[in-house]
Amino acid sequence: MNVLEVRGYSLDYATATGFVRALDSIDLAIARGEVLGLVGESGSGKTSLAWAIMRHLPPRAREQGSISLAGQSPMTATEAEIAAIRGRRIGMVFQDPSTSLNPTLTLGQQLAEVLQRHRKLTRRQAWAEGEAMMARVGLKQPANMMRRYPHEASGGEKQRVVIASAFACQPECILFDEPTTALDVVTARQILDLFAELQAETSVASLYISHDLALVSRVADHVAVLHRGKLVEQGEVDAVFDAPREDYTRRLLAAVPRPDHRLVSGKPAAGIEPLVEVERLSVHYGRTPFLSALVGRRTAQVAGNREVSLSVRPGEILGIVGESGSGKSTLARALTGLNRFEGAVRFGGRRIAGRRDMDRAYRRDVQIVFQHPDSSLNPRQRVREILSRPLTLYGGEARIEALLEQVRLPATYVERFPHQLSGGEKQRVAIARAFASCPKLVICDEITSSLDVSVQAAVVELLVDLQRRNGTAYLFITHDLNLVRQLAHRIAVMYRGELVELLDIDDLSTTGPRHPYTRELLDAVPPPREYKS
Amino acid sequence: MAELLRRLLRTPQGLLGVLIVGLILVIVVCGPWLAPYGPDTLAPRLRYRPPSAEFLLGTDQYGRDILSRLLYGARSTVILACLATGLGTLAGALIGTTSAFLGGRADEAIMRTIDAILSIPSLLFALLIVNLLGKSSFSAVMAIGIAFTPGMTRVTRSVALAVTKQDYVNAAIARGERGGYIVLREMLPNVVAPIVVEMTIRVAFAVMLFATLSFLGLGAQPPSSEWGLMVAEARRFMHLSFWMILWPSLAVAMVAIGFNLLGDGLRDALNPRT
Repeated sequence: MNVLEVRGYSLDYATATGFVRALDSIDLAIARGEVLGLVGESGSGKTSLAWAIMRHLPPRAREQGSISLAGQSPMTATEAEIAAIRGRRIGMVFQDPSTSLNPTLTLGQQLAEVLQRHRKLTRRQAWAEGEAMMARVGLKQPANMMRRYPHEASGGEKQRVVIASAFACQPECILFDEPTTALDVVTARQILDLFAELQAETSVASLYISHDLALVSRVADHVAVLHRGKLVEQGEVDAVFDAPREDYTRRLLAAVPRPDHRLVSGKPAAGIEPLVEVERLSVHYGRTPFLSALVGRRTAQVAGNREVSLSVRPGEILGIVGESGSGKSTLARALTGLNRFEGAVRFGGRRIAGRRDMDRAYRRDVQIVFQHPDSSLNPRQRVREILSRPLTLYGGEARIEALLEQVRLPATYVERFPHQLSGGEKQRVAIARAFASCPKLVICDEITSSLDVSVQAAVVELLVDLQRRNGTAYLFITHDLNLVRQLAHRIAVMYRGELVELLDIDDLSTTGPRHPYTRELLDAVPPPREYKS
Repeated sequence: MAELLRRLLRTPQGLLGVLIVGLILVIVVCGPWLAPYGPDTLAPRLRYRPPSAEFLLGTDQYGRDILSRLLYGARSTVILACLATGLGTLAGALIGTTSAFLGGRADEAIMRTIDAILSIPSLLFALLIVNLLGKSSFSAVMAIGIAFTPGMTRVTRSVALAVTKQDYVNAAIARGERGGYIVLREMLPNVVAPIVVEMTIRVAFAVMLFATLSFLGLGAQPPSSEWGLMVAEARRFMHLSFWMILWPSLAVAMVAIGFNLLGDGLRDALNPRT
């Protein structure tokens, strides 16, 4: 018998301009001990479905169809009955553990509260049980962890606590909403292993929501592909991945980056003068307080980068990988003059020792594209103004329409505001802005990580095309190892602010990485499974 | 713009605010044509009259028609209040945005100075400035504008701080834009919405502050029919006719309430999440 069954379920949201359909006649079922992977791009309705099952919908939602949990329908339950179901019979694990835990309560209090409320344990029993749960989800020193506050634990540890509280009451069904997306690759891998272990142990019915096809293919038994609120394909993982029936699924699978499928051919000419040389560059955060400076007391500063040295040749794509907080973006910000730094940058024969040395020529030749186009494009400016600024500053002869055409956007977009464009289109505008001054080096700071996989593939293809035409060098910062292996000529691995390894892409496949951290990174992200197209 | 108006009219306070402010604007524009008498037409035999068919709101100590004086006085009262608020808002927005953009020590220096000025009550501060500049409508406008600047600076800076962390500001710095362009073109348009709300609410304060200054004899001078001044003059004759003090006070209150409601409505309308 199915634990969770959704039959002919449709969901509409009332907006100022009428009803907008979020989900359209969804049919799915999860049996005991089964994992159903729900895959879809952003806006496809994945999270809406999770909230519908949890019975936490805004008042402007209108539903049709049925949802049933072990034969009972939570749709007709009263508020009090739903409150008893949540946590007790359906658990949920959210994307970002730092926002799903209350920062003012200790981890132990939050875990014990679940046990007290749903399993009617006493405080003491709940605390002891909580400690046991912490040990079970692989947290070292559980007694100590119980007393810690969320900010005193790492992202991976917090997500383990969230998982512990989801499993705490042995629910029949658990919803996982992108539980590893906010985590580093290495941590994400550990969380996935934990998930698989607990899943096998408790044989709970799991709905695993993700945008990452490769990941779903590893954790799920069945997979359902959601596209604009409709389930386009559903079936066994092997069946769907080996022989996708629907066009959309095929396109999704084709867009997943595969390291063996190189997008860049050839290599930059060796032996010529490097374009940029970074010499022992260090970045420290935090300024010395006035009083400390007065009495000459030294204050501890946080190091963002420690003596990083690397060089980029003309026309080369240098990939920089590392987990969050490893100093990748700090390096990018230092190179564009957004951070103070020590050490030096040698660019075009000139030595740049600080932000004051960055003159017009340097600013013109080194451009940056940021991660979130929502934040990097001014929402109050039209595309015309956004693109005309670099032209007026550096006097390029290119026309705005030509710039748009270069990034494959119609010229009619010049009068649009950023909010009238999709995520991928916005990122194209940001790329067009960077290329307006004909730079020699473009720093791409995680530019594809906020985009859907199909959009990402198109943006990457555009970048490769621009590189081929203009001979621009890239500093391509990413956490996606499969993607960087498709693109880069060389890969720099950063760890805790230091550059631990710089290896050639050919060496990676022949001799393999030397540094243990690089090996750990590579092991955490196995290449996606092959499928027959 | 049309969308904003529609959202504004959907809330009760927005609708009421728009109606009252609209009425005030009509009076400001057409007041002199609507007035049955001149503001300074004396009628020594018809002094201290209560409201009647002839004088709808009664007459004052010189037999002048109060309704006509109110209709004429709307121009000076409301326009000067808006002017003063606009002045304070503009200065505050510029200082606040610049301070947030500069950051670090400069920000500290600017904001601590602003805090120090903020600690002086605004009426006292306005009195000080009027005393320095001399008694006139112009100096009252300046005084209220300057007295409003620190508060607007604080409001603007708190919004602008969030904007400085946006990547479009970083992108502009990395592109080598000058500070002036970043403050005026990149940041200021993005802090406008909360400032507009704050401004409409402050117009109400400005009307009251202006009336207070006139009441104290430091703003508009007789025989002007500025509303605050009318209240001040009527005070001495309250025992002869309380209508004289009631009508201008009600007029000031109506402006204050109207702009306050409009500000409340705008806050909801400009916030897309409600």
